[in-house]
Amino acid sequence: MKLTWADKLLTAGLVVFSFLGIGASVYLFPGSGQQQAQISVDGKLIKTVTLRAGYREEFRIGGPDHYNIVEIDGEKIRVREADCPDQVCVKTGWVRVAPQQIVCLPWRVVIKVTSSRSADIDDIAR
Amino acid sequence: MNTKKVAQIGMLSSAALILHLVETWLPVPAPVPGIKLGLANCVSLVTLAVLGIRYAFYLTVIRILLGALIGGILFGPAFVMSAAGGSGSILAMWYASQHWKPPFSVIGVSIIGAVAHSVIQVAAAAWLVSSESLLWYVPYVVLLAIPAGAVTGLTVGYFTDRLSICR
Repeated sequence: MKLTWADKLLTAGLVVFSFLGIGASVYLFPGSGQQQAQISVDGKLIKTVTLRAGYREEFRIGGPDHYNIVEIDGEKIRVREADCPDQVCVKTGWVRVAPQQIVCLPWRVVIKVTSSRSADIDDIAR
Repeated sequence: MNTKKVAQIGMLSSAALILHLVETWLPVPAPVPGIKLGLANCVSLVTLAVLGIRYAFYLTVIRILLGALIGGILFGPAFVMSAAGGSGSILAMWYASQHWKPPFSVIGVSIIGAVAHSVIQVAAAAWLVSSESLLWYVPYVVLLAIPAGAVTGLTVGYFTDRLSICR
């Protein structure tokens, strides 16, 4: 098996693309500044919490037939418990720095950390 | 579709299904949820090379449906992602192997398929939760798809070199 020049070019191009993308996400979302968590269900923002030291909160989201329990402990946030089948949101664990996020695909929940100091990506996209 | 083709599709489907299931048992240490090696893609790629796009597409559909049925995710969100990624990937690999091979070898075609699969999955997930911020995963999944696609492509290359039914 031999790699052709096109294989190498493709690989190099993709590696450059992904590093640029990762670099851009780090650059656009500096880890400094006040971190906030935006909790949305079905694309609708339902709650914004500022992640600050000494703050604790725990709440339940979902309807009568399913739930996610979100726990905020100081500067970090996680989904402590959920009854979704894949448990990806629970296994993600604590997140604390933008652009980290927790996604619960079955229940359409997205918790994303944003930084107050960062450029808002939506502003750039427009 | 003659009897030989039916038998070949059946055999290849069961091989793909087993790889698909074994793969779900393997935990992959990755920062992004849902990353896997794409072993089942080997079989799709072999089928594409040996029997053509029609059978490769049948095989992918059979694998995704049965895999989801056995995995217990049929018609759930993970199924939508898997179906979109699988069919998109096989179409991308078909196009690439028709028009871009050479210059690409089977490894390049496999990488194209792996990248298409992961990007489409992330896009499907972003659509499912109506949150475009998931697209920030794209660079990470592309980075991880490169070695996964290369491993799959190498496997297929060695396999088709040695297997006589492929001639």
